[in-house]
Amino acid sequence: MPEKIDYFDRVSENREQKYHERSLRNYNSAGRQKRSAVDLPLVVLTLVILTIGVVMVLSASYARAYYTIGNPTNYFVRQAGFAVAGVAVMFLASRFRTGMYRRFAFIVLGISIVALILVLIPGIGTGKEETGAQRWIDLGFTTFQPSEIAKVGVILSFSALACIYKEKMKTFKYGVVPFGAILAVIVGLLVLEPHLSGSIIIIGVGGVLMFVGGTKTKWLAAIGGIALVAGIILIRFLGYAEDRIEIWRNPFSDPTGDGYQTIQSLYAIGSGGLLGLGFGQGRQKFLYLPEEHNDFIFSIVCEELGFVGAVFILFLFALLIIRGYWIALHARDRFGSLIATGITTLFAIQVFLNVAVVTNLFPCTGVSLPFFSYGGTALLIQMFEIGIILSVSREIPMKKIKENSIETERLSRGDVE
Amino acid sequence: MKYQRSAERDMRPNRTILSRTLFLMIVCGIVAFIILVAKLYTIQIRDHEFYETQALDQQTNETKIPAFRGTIYDRNGNELAVSVTSYSVYLSPYELKYYGESADTVADVLSQTLGASRESVLKKTEDVSAWYKTIAVKIDSETAGKLREAKSENNLKSIHIENDTTRQYPYGSLACHAIGFVGTDGTGLEGIEALYDEYLTGVDGNVSRLAAGNGTEMLSGTYEQYIDAVDGSDLTLTIDAGVQRMTEKCVKQAIEDYDVQNGGCAIVMNVKTGAILALASFDNYDLNDYRSVSDEKQAELDKITDRDEYNAVLREAQLKQWRNMALSDTYEPGSVFKTITLAIGLDSGAIKTSDSFYCGGSMSVLGRNKPLNCWRHSGHGSQSLAQAAQHSCNVAFVNIGLRIGAETFYEYAEKFGLFNKTGVDLIGEAGSQWWSEDVFFNPENLSQLAAASFGQTFNITPIQLITAVSAAVNGGEMVKPYVVDTVTSPDGVVEYKKDSAPEYRVISEETSQAVCDILESVVADKEGTGKNAAVAGYRIGGKTGTSEKTGKSFENGEKEYIVSFCGIAPMDDPEIAVLVLLDTPSYSTGLYISGGNMAAPTVGNIFADILPYLGYEKTYTEEELAVIDVAVPDVTGMAASDAAAELKKAGLNAQIVGDGDTVADQLPPAGAEISAGQTVVLYTGARPDETQTVVPDLIGLTFEEAINTLERAGLYMMTADLYTGNEEAIIWKQSAQSGVTVDSGSVIEVALAENVDEGIE
Repeated sequence: MPEKIDYFDRVSENREQKYHERSLRNYNSAGRQKRSAVDLPLVVLTLVILTIGVVMVLSASYARAYYTIGNPTNYFVRQAGFAVAGVAVMFLASRFRTGMYRRFAFIVLGISIVALILVLIPGIGTGKEETGAQRWIDLGFTTFQPSEIAKVGVILSFSALACIYKEKMKTFKYGVVPFGAILAVIVGLLVLEPHLSGSIIIIGVGGVLMFVGGTKTKWLAAIGGIALVAGIILIRFLGYAEDRIEIWRNPFSDPTGDGYQTIQSLYAIGSGGLLGLGFGQGRQKFLYLPEEHNDFIFSIVCEELGFVGAVFILFLFALLIIRGYWIALHARDRFGSLIATGITTLFAIQVFLNVAVVTNLFPCTGVSLPFFSYGGTALLIQMFEIGIILSVSREIPMKKIKENSIETERLSRGDVE
Repeated sequence: MKYQRSAERDMRPNRTILSRTLFLMIVCGIVAFIILVAKLYTIQIRDHEFYETQALDQQTNETKIPAFRGTIYDRNGNELAVSVTSYSVYLSPYELKYYGESADTVADVLSQTLGASRESVLKKTEDVSAWYKTIAVKIDSETAGKLREAKSENNLKSIHIENDTTRQYPYGSLACHAIGFVGTDGTGLEGIEALYDEYLTGVDGNVSRLAAGNGTEMLSGTYEQYIDAVDGSDLTLTIDAGVQRMTEKCVKQAIEDYDVQNGGCAIVMNVKTGAILALASFDNYDLNDYRSVSDEKQAELDKITDRDEYNAVLREAQLKQWRNMALSDTYEPGSVFKTITLAIGLDSGAIKTSDSFYCGGSMSVLGRNKPLNCWRHSGHGSQSLAQAAQHSCNVAFVNIGLRIGAETFYEYAEKFGLFNKTGVDLIGEAGSQWWSEDVFFNPENLSQLAAASFGQTFNITPIQLITAVSAAVNGGEMVKPYVVDTVTSPDGVVEYKKDSAPEYRVISEETSQAVCDILESVVADKEGTGKNAAVAGYRIGGKTGTSEKTGKSFENGEKEYIVSFCGIAPMDDPEIAVLVLLDTPSYSTGLYISGGNMAAPTVGNIFADILPYLGYEKTYTEEELAVIDVAVPDVTGMAASDAAAELKKAGLNAQIVGDGDTVADQLPPAGAEISAGQTVVLYTGARPDETQTVVPDLIGLTFEEAINTLERAGLYMMTADLYTGNEEAIIWKQSAQSGVTVDSGSVIEVALAENVDEGIE
């Protein structure tokens, strides 16, 4: 291979040279690279969103908690506890090096698959009576959805695969087949629950990781096209989820039945107006809107905080997501960049789908709103995921590090040796 | 070093990752959120009002503030119909279950406070999905208070007490057919209550409060909306409760006296304005309990065991008692209609007051194969127009009718409002039935015209007749009968005031005056068939009628009649008309069945009561003064001679018992009303002990004979001014029956009437 050194390469070489020299200073005495501090903007955004979310759980849930349990702060106290634990989990997760996540990627995937199989076994998996779907595993002290772990498993394994097949991602054999196989297994198990929204999210995140990982866009386009055609055939010609589509197009066609939830959500959002009814002043949570502290918590946010408050919260989410991608863009290595992208995309998809559902932009399906929706294990997993991004952020080489402060900083951070 | 560098490089993201991640950042971090914000904008800003309204609609519980229905007053401001606050009680079995309340406790509380059946309450509690089970309506505030207490004592949230209003009729059955009643939902079903429902009904207000999805009060939120109730407007009627009561009393008495089979009715109307002062119809009913039938009917019903039959009979009895005979039933008016024939004849110029008519007992009419008989088969001979009316001579009136001619007759009949409903503001007015013009106008067959001349072969309602007669006597102008005079809004604004001005002229004033003169003679003249309507002190006119009920007869084959009398007073300036109809008096009373014998005295009774009540002054004739009731003056303590003189002044004689100088006692006592010319006993010494005497039989005696008979028995007589000196009149009714023992000196009230034969063909 003839060496081609042009200006760009040379500049690049120079930059890398400088970069490398600088990074060398970041190695500690044990020869391991020293890590930067966690990305402060992401931490702040996460904590702000989490705080607002937990407080909103209080507002949204106290009516139902009062009427059904008798203790208005029941859900809030639990959620707040999980939030505190979640913050710890986040910082803990940020301490692990990304390499370790890469090592455990396929193990997590394996656990996910096992959990997804377990949840299908009657007696282990539980579900809500009204949907008939089996999505939860009861751990005694709490319940969790294996699909939440599966999301992490898919992100980690896809990122790892994209690193392993780095050069071959453009081929069908390496760029599509292994990913497709994993997705087929995971989604297949999810469909058995059934868990449509989980499947969509995992397919979305998986697809995005393939896309970023370097799979040729034509393959993705082809797969996307096939999926689209299949979806249209399913809905238009085979009548799959026809009721759901009909309700989506006109929720008022069955206001007390299938359209009830959507209508109640629209009432909540619409009556919020520009400035909202005020925090805690919402009315729809008084046993009108179902799932008001779960999937439909954003409707209560809109009702109480109005358009201004809702847009502000969406803005915070947008900042969080942009910061996540920013970290991915600045990640030191390919794997870190991919997992940061995957997790950020996961949040983006969940936020978008959740708000789209509660505003009836999309047909009704169960997607929770990260940091807002009530649910302990889901929150822990979300915080863990943020922790992973933070872990990636910590490996971004420090631009300015004062020589004399290295030790102090190390000590104060209590860096793991 | 080289290895490390390449390893570093290997680990760094490549260009594809960078550009694709950047792309994602833009799509997921910016574009997606723009879409969401746009969607939120449409819902929260653009469609805000729609969703807010819808949401509030479901989030609020409305509590009704019932509006009071307007009050119905009589012309003097007496309350005929009022709305009062009441309460209704309902049970929410859903809440009973929701709050875990004991069905037994609820049933106990409801049965103890409201008297509700425990079993039925328990049965209602079983339907746990129901929110609203009515337990009781129209509960008074005292009972509601007791229930409220018991409710809070037992902390029962499933029992609800709601405000409501109830219609009350303080006078019970008085003027029931005019006033009408309201249904359980508060809308008028009959009479004025139905016709003026729009005015009477108010607009209910409400309070909207936030409520949770399970119906309980919301824990937070400040939204509350209060819309005050607007009460209904008040009505002031032309009906006078006093006149109404007197009229009902007299008609009821007549129905009893003459054993009237199918009830009767009476209308008292101001002939100058059309204002109806009283409207009575029998059977009647209690407005406060309009479904209940009379005790006799109920006793009859109680014998029926079959449920369907029971309901059918009950329904029939209810419909009958609700039926306003004065408006809803048509009849052949008979001789009372001769008033109208007379007016048409005089006004059209067909006859003059100076004309004379010969009645040979019958006459032949073109187109009629049998001769037409006068009710007096021997004939009335030659008679003046007034005499013809006094005799109610059919032959004379057929002649008048034939002179008028069919076309003119119909022309006037229409002007007198006999072809159309009067339009009186009451429910259930029936229309009239007349021959079609081609039959009536047939020159080859005058039998229809002939019969119509004396009020047969067509059907009109009593209200049409009295309205036509009013026009005939009030100076000749048509008035429209009405009951509601003013409608006043709750804030005192008059929303409606009846314009009682006459509508148009039917006959000339002169004709009207002539008709009045003749009608007065029917009552005042010796030969008049309406003599029994006379009331001492008043100038009364009128016309009798006895109409055969076509196709109806008693079981023994005897004919059924409607007897009627339309009286007018005072005749110097007619203002009040009274029409009384008695449907099917029985033969058992021994009187001739005729308007003159039965309806005329009833009208007389009504006039005797209402004219003084309405403030008409009495002016007695010489003849009347000799027979009217006078109040015995107090002469105790006077010298005997002075006392006698005092009594003489009052039209009474004196008999002095004892040998003292001053009157120590008198019999009858001061203030007693007795017929003039009787002898008052004055005791100058000690009054003898109370003695008792047996009431003699007075039936069939004349006035003089009766006074003498009573004097012998030591009793006194009064006639309540209903005797005016008619020597032909005999007593047919006495207040204490013969053979009854009473205290000496008691006053016996008697009713006299001349047994007048008239009017039946």
